[in-house]
Amino acid sequence: MVTLGRLGSTILKPASRTGRIGRSVIAGLAVAAVGTGIAHAADVYLPIVMPITGFLSVEGGSQRNGAVMALEHAPGGKTVEYPIFDTGTSATGAATALDKALSNGKAVAAAVSVFGTEMVAMMPVASEYKVPLLTISGLAKITESGNPYIFRFLPNDREIKVAHARYVVEKMHKSKIALISDTTAYGQGGFALLKEDFGKLGVKPVYEDSSIAPDTKDMTPLLIKVKGSGADAIVVHSVAAPMALIAKQAKAMGLNLPIINSSSLVEPTATALFEPAELANVCAETPSAPEARATPRVKEWADAYAKRFGMEPDGLALGQYDGVMMALTLIAAGATTPEKLGDALQKSTYEGVAMTYKSNGHGDLAHDADIVCWDGTSRIPKVVEHYAGEQMVLK
Amino acid sequence: MSLLQLVINGVALGAAYALVALGFVFIVNATGAVNFAHGDLVMAGGYVAVSLGALAPVPTLILLPLVAIIMFVLGLALALLAYFPLINRPPSTVFISTLLCGIILQNAFVVLFGPQARAAPPLIASGAWHLGQIEISVQALGTMVVAAVLIALQYMVFARTQIGRRLRATAEDRQMAQAIGIPAYALIAATFGLGTALAGIAGALLANQFFVYPTGGISLSVYAYIAVVIGGWGSIAGAVIGAMLISLFQVVVSAYVSYAVATGLLYTTLLLIFLVRPQGIFGERVQRRA
Repeated sequence: MVTLGRLGSTILKPASRTGRIGRSVIAGLAVAAVGTGIAHAADVYLPIVMPITGFLSVEGGSQRNGAVMALEHAPGGKTVEYPIFDTGTSATGAATALDKALSNGKAVAAAVSVFGTEMVAMMPVASEYKVPLLTISGLAKITESGNPYIFRFLPNDREIKVAHARYVVEKMHKSKIALISDTTAYGQGGFALLKEDFGKLGVKPVYEDSSIAPDTKDMTPLLIKVKGSGADAIVVHSVAAPMALIAKQAKAMGLNLPIINSSSLVEPTATALFEPAELANVCAETPSAPEARATPRVKEWADAYAKRFGMEPDGLALGQYDGVMMALTLIAAGATTPEKLGDALQKSTYEGVAMTYKSNGHGDLAHDADIVCWDGTSRIPKVVEHYAGEQMVLK
Repeated sequence: MSLLQLVINGVALGAAYALVALGFVFIVNATGAVNFAHGDLVMAGGYVAVSLGALAPVPTLILLPLVAIIMFVLGLALALLAYFPLINRPPSTVFISTLLCGIILQNAFVVLFGPQARAAPPLIASGAWHLGQIEISVQALGTMVVAAVLIALQYMVFARTQIGRRLRATAEDRQMAQAIGIPAYALIAATFGLGTALAGIAGALLANQFFVYPTGGISLSVYAYIAVVIGGWGSIAGAVIGAMLISLFQVVVSAYVSYAVATGLLYTTLLLIFLVRPQGIFGERVQRRA
């Protein structure tokens, strides 16, 4: 049973087109109501502060759904209030939204943005209010800066890029890599880590380009240069749209090199842009691949998610679900204040749907990653390799 | 893959950009107003094509007239909301009001269609034609043909018809045009409608190969503005040349240098044009610009 949170979860679910306008209007009223300081009747106040609009709204929508799904099933009979605050995919918007969320009630934790730039802006706010932030942002430095309020439920980019590079070099046996990224902070960060990891694996890319603007339309010049470099594989770290254009246009011009992407391509909204045949010979790293339904527990969760939100889940949704559910489980077990919850998150081990979560002492709780590939007959990928723990560290 | 292939790809992309710029010029020519919601109207056209394609799974070419009609109505609404109430205010006011309308449209797209990218049906069919090493997609060829027809039509309207002359007279001096009996307000409304219809057609053409997404119009508004500045304020031929120049930098120049350097060179060229020929390549003198 939830109060305002139930309203929030209902109005923002990405279901059919019909009724979206109405729900959004109510969402606006709900957020406005929170902003004016509604009395809190629930046992737990756990606001959601995520990019619902802006260029990362696809990813933000997935993580919001995951959080909402956990909050709707809070264990221990606790009632939870979880208003949703939109960061607008901007650092200032994120800091302001988190400040507003935390000043509106006595939060035990907040489920926050996937966007690293926003996380950096929100970290001082978390320190000010001394409230744990539950995130799936991959930006490595947010758990490397000594802030004790950050808890991450997806492998950080430093770890997951190891899986990305190792699969290309050790499993696919590729040594002439074309390494490509877009110009977003996400793209630039992943590009630097991949370059470092390939170096540790003894591979120097034969072609590098990290200057692809997210709104680039024609990838022909890039693909001509890749072809001319003699590359035997294309490794891409990018947001969804340019990555989709690279994969589609490479196929269209007959450049049949394997393309190994970052996790943005695993989102169902990204694969929907492809005909299944265009996905042949395409792979991607991902923290988890719930849409592949590889285990009975993941299948049960993925089916429930699809029924609840009318769309296939992705690894972002599952990571955020597991993170919020771990926090709720610890709250039900007695960690009812931010201090107690932060302490419990650092010390506990939690068996989630995607993986087992255990902090490394710096707030990184997830240390597993999958490599998925498409066979050209379906938009649903298959898990072809799993990496965990020490396998995701390169000395 | 040769330079010729890159040029063909550049011309195909430039044809779509030219349609975007033409809708922009259409409104500039008739009203003197800079419509910075134009890129978002291009996206709106893409979304209309996606929606119609979902309702009736036919090639986009068949849907284009319906896209144009729907977008014409949207253009009228834009004129009523963002232009007419501010018609006697400084041009910068209209600039801001259209900018705000663009932001409203972006948020409406998120609400109605979700934040993810979507693809419209192909203009005629998927696939490509091959001539030796040269490949051209059916979509790109169709885009070039549709753009060429619409460019020619627009030129004819403005240069050779009475209504075109009246539109230009209205843009030059609305009060004088009204004084000699030209129905200026009706012409301005129709112009917003036609310019928006052109934007919508461009969006429908772009949405198959390059997707449509809520914030996709921002860069298109900038490209349209740059194309018009390069080509010459108010010049149809100039807008086409400007659009082609942008796409050639994006497709041809970037094959020899990085995308970042190609973009830098494009803006350097723009600065040089400002310095050497501030009125643009085919520039016409105008009194004010926002």
